Amino acid sequence: MSSRGGKQKKGNVTSEQEEEEQPLQAVLVADSFNRRFFPISKDQPRALLPLGNVAMIDYTLEFLTSTGVQETFVFCCWMSNKIKDHLLKSKWCRPTSPNVVHIITSDLYRSLGDVLRDVDAKNLVRNDFILVYGDVVSNIDVSQALQEHRHRRKVDKNISVMTMVFKESSPGHKSRCEEDDVIVAMDSKSKRFSMGTDEFEIRHDLLDCHISICSPQVAELFTDNFDYQTRNDFVRGILVNEEILGNQIHLYVTQDGYGARVSNLQMYDSVSSDMVRRWVYPLTPEANFTDQQGQGCTHSRHNVYRGAEVSLGHGSQMEENVLIGRDTSIGANCHISNSVIGNNCTIGDNVVLDRAHMWNNVHISSNVEIHQSVVCDGAVVKEAVRLNKQCVLAYNVVIGPNLSLPEGTVVSMHHPEEEEEDDDDEFLSDDQEVGHSKDKTRQKAFNPAEVGPEGKGYIWKASMNDTEDEELAQCLWGLVLNPDPESDSESEASEESQDRTFQLEVLGTLQRGLEENIVCDNLVLEINSLKYAYNITLKEVMQILTRVVLEYPFQQQGTQLTTLQYTGSLLPLLKTWSPVFKNYIKRAQDHLDCLSAVEELFLEQDTHQTAMVKVLMKMYQLEILEEEAILKWFSTGATNDKSRQLRKNQGLQKFIQWLKEAEDESSEEGE
Amino acid sequence: MELQAVLMAAGGGSRMMDLTYNTPKPLLPVGNKPLIWYPLNLLERVGFEEVIVITTKEVQKMISTDPKVKLDVKMKLDLVCIQEDADMGTADALRHIQQKVKTDVLVVSCDLITDAALHEVVDLFRAHNATLSMLMSKAHEFTETVPGQKGKKKTGEQRDFVGVDGTGKRLLFMANEADLDEGVVIRKSIMRKHPRMHIKTGLVDAHLYCLKKSVVDFLADNKSISSIRGELVPYLVRKQFSKSTNSPKVIDETHQNLKKNDSNVNLEIQISSRDEELLHLTQERSCWNDHRGDMSDAYHGGRLRCYVHIMDEGICYRVNTEMSILPWSFSAYYLFTDNILPHSIIGASCQISDKTSIKRSTIGVSTTVREKVKVTNSIIMHGVTIEEGCNIQGSVICSNAVIGRGADIKYCLVGSAQRIEPDGEHTTMSKACSA
Repeated sequence: MSSRGGKQKKGNVTSEQEEEEQPLQAVLVADSFNRRFFPISKDQPRALLPLGNVAMIDYTLEFLTSTGVQETFVFCCWMSNKIKDHLLKSKWCRPTSPNVVHIITSDLYRSLGDVLRDVDAKNLVRNDFILVYGDVVSNIDVSQALQEHRHRRKVDKNISVMTMVFKESSPGHKSRCEEDDVIVAMDSKSKRFSMGTDEFEIRHDLLDCHISICSPQVAELFTDNFDYQTRNDFVRGILVNEEILGNQIHLYVTQDGYGARVSNLQMYDSVSSDMVRRWVYPLTPEANFTDQQGQGCTHSRHNVYRGAEVSLGHGSQMEENVLIGRDTSIGANCHISNSVIGNNCTIGDNVVLDRAHMWNNVHISSNVEIHQSVVCDGAVVKEAVRLNKQCVLAYNVVIGPNLSLPEGTVVSMHHPEEEEEDDDDEFLSDDQEVGHSKDKTRQKAFNPAEVGPEGKGYIWKASMNDTEDEELAQCLWGLVLNPDPESDSESEASEESQDRTFQLEVLGTLQRGLEENIVCDNLVLEINSLKYAYNITLKEVMQILTRVVLEYPFQQQGTQLTTLQYTGSLLPLLKTWSPVFKNYIKRAQDHLDCLSAVEELFLEQDTHQTAMVKVLMKMYQLEILEEEAILKWFSTGATNDKSRQLRKNQGLQKFIQWLKEAEDESSEEGE
Repeated sequence: MELQAVLMAAGGGSRMMDLTYNTPKPLLPVGNKPLIWYPLNLLERVGFEEVIVITTKEVQKMISTDPKVKLDVKMKLDLVCIQEDADMGTADALRHIQQKVKTDVLVVSCDLITDAALHEVVDLFRAHNATLSMLMSKAHEFTETVPGQKGKKKTGEQRDFVGVDGTGKRLLFMANEADLDEGVVIRKSIMRKHPRMHIKTGLVDAHLYCLKKSVVDFLADNKSISSIRGELVPYLVRKQFSKSTNSPKVIDETHQNLKKNDSNVNLEIQISSRDEELLHLTQERSCWNDHRGDMSDAYHGGRLRCYVHIMDEGICYRVNTEMSILPWSFSAYYLFTDNILPHSIIGASCQISDKTSIKRSTIGVSTTVREKVKVTNSIIMHGVTIEEGCNIQGSVICSNAVIGRGADIKYCLVGSAQRIEPDGEHTTMSKACSA
């Protein structure tokens, strides 16, 4: 901050110039802080996973350098040593690099929030900086966005704290991450996140590139607010408090360019294929932008790339969009399309590869078929193995021979349970010695049925743990979200479900009342409180109550009850709960409503219609229902054929007859 | 005949009771023309030769007898009377004339004053084979003080949220602030089909609709819909995105219980029957598409489409509140007759004495203005007597009122046949009926 103080003393022009001159900084977070890529990321941090035979972090750094970043802070946590080694060997740490890379490691980072708080604590940034993750692949020129951001900050006195870069892409595009399906409300004129103004735009055609241009305040704001863990927390916090704190977030929307974050394997698959199809130009496989010896390859028709010393057997076809790394040999009669094959791989004869991602030193025997799968370093696939869609073979796994892995199988050398065992210290110590020794002890436990007779590895189940969080973490390929069913009566549906939940609650209450012998008055209290909680009218309460009670025997003993059994179990219940009924059935209209509820139920349960008269009789005897109400209901309530049919029931007619006579008698007595 | 014009002129003007106490709303003088003249003129200018006017007996009688109400149109007016006390909504009225409706209809409200290019709305209707197309305009801000109201009152109406697609034509969403519990809820399936939605507030609905004939037939089957703006339009807008493969179950669950079982007519089916086969074939064979970004058919296979034309400039005005009558009353008439805007309009057979000053005002037929009277920014309706030395500013004086000598009236609303005491000083009061 001292530098800024010095600046202000000088004239306006010089300060502006100085601002221009100040090197553009970037914060690169080389950790995902989640376990989406487990078990692959158990051996290699996500930022170093190869995409088109180049580590992902190299794409990010190349992107930053090409937009003019001169100083990058790389923050590593998980397996920081590996990232550090990789970077020290790369071109970024050569003295000629235009982008000075500082590597900052700490095992204590748990989230983006921790990283930015550390940025603030160490006072690393002096000006606007670019914030990216280590798994972002992009060729967007953000200098335009940067200019807009700076302009806004100059005009509005630092009100804008962040400009997020979005790319236009229609919903359903494959480079859109299903889980990251953003809907943005923005002010079209000022490009600000907002909803308040007279006119705003709701956009669902934006892809979050996970590239943000941040003001130095962002780091301070993270320090101020320890609740901010992710960027989403931050954005939400800023938008909610916009009126109080006055901070705003803007968007930069680009039509062209490519930007995506590899957040799960689905995204890995699509970004990799986009890469091979040259959407990320100039970051193409043959460009060898990492400037590493031997990485170069040739580009020929149909996007077929071949590294040095690639041998291709007789009759093998490379259809389209294929990238083959150096020193890889492919046998005869193979059929390869839309695939990436790493360095030093050997592939046997008659192999079919489609949308396969094979990393380095993979050994594939003959007659193997692989569809949309990831095969990591050192994996061996024996003869006649078939990998169906979305399989993952992690490091050094051996599969086969003669096996077909079902869709979505994940095989790793790490035992799934091992993860849970050293769950606690996992973040703190990344030496995997312990894990390896355990592996050795367990090696006998490979299940030949799962990984084949000569196989080595453990199957990772998609959902091993009960908790939802863990389940999410296990979905390597990302979640498939079902689109909401189209209907125009959503409010109604929710209302209906509210009735339904209320009914279930009433049922639960009554059940508990029976089990624990609760006094009816307390039951009434509970039902009343439920009534308010679900906003149910008194009439509905009564109808639902009637329904619940009458259905109670079915609920408890199944629907196959005979009529006799049904009445046998229902009548005592009616007696027990008659105070509850009496509480709700008071006015004449209530009686009729209750009766119509009874009628409705017995119309549905037409096999038990004979029981109806007994129910009515009991309710009459218990003084829940009055005779006038029953008579009135009988004479006037019939509205359709079915209920007319119901009224022709003999037992019912007798009952009514009896009631009428009883009434006559009582009136005579009265006289 | 492609379109039949229907003019809704049966409204009671419930939001301007003070003015409509004696004169029915369609006949309120605006620029010395009855209000109803403006929509009729609008229709006549675009070439309609016949118009169905839905109105009340009272209005009908006055049109035929009252000499002050000169409609001055050459179109054939087909006056249909509805009972005034039946409390019929606009949709009810449309249902009422179903027998007369032979083609698609253009429904106009009688309180609309606009110079909008009607063909824009109709072209949308034609081009997209739309079920509904309507006219909206940016709202005007009122700066003048409203007669009869203390201070500036905020419009009591709640904001409407209108969602249109990227082109600004397709109507995707419509909701009133009053109906929203917790913010605006938009279905994701709509967003998927129309990823860019502009939500606009501060629009005035001109209450001018092009409707397919099938919609009128649908109204006949759905007795529960009573208002076009309040119920029918939101329903149609919503219905655009419901499943096209409609189960024969029920078309409208909310009105389910009100309908007889045998009248389960499906709007979707009716509308699709209008989609003539050839038209369908053309659409199938053509490479034209209304959207880009995904691979689905034009209109996403939907058959029900609603469009809106939003006017950027020009006049679009609804005279439905007291405050709306004043600023426009004066200039409206002259906008339509291409005359130069004068300082004032004086009706026929008025007696105006010497030494009076009348500025930016309209004075109705057979009004007497005595000496030394000053009238600015006001509307004086028919048969008013203004005694000597009065000062009237920004006010509305209804028919047959008498303003006593030397009264000073500012921003007032004087009801018909009222008497204002001499030498009184009044500001922002409303004296409507002799209560």
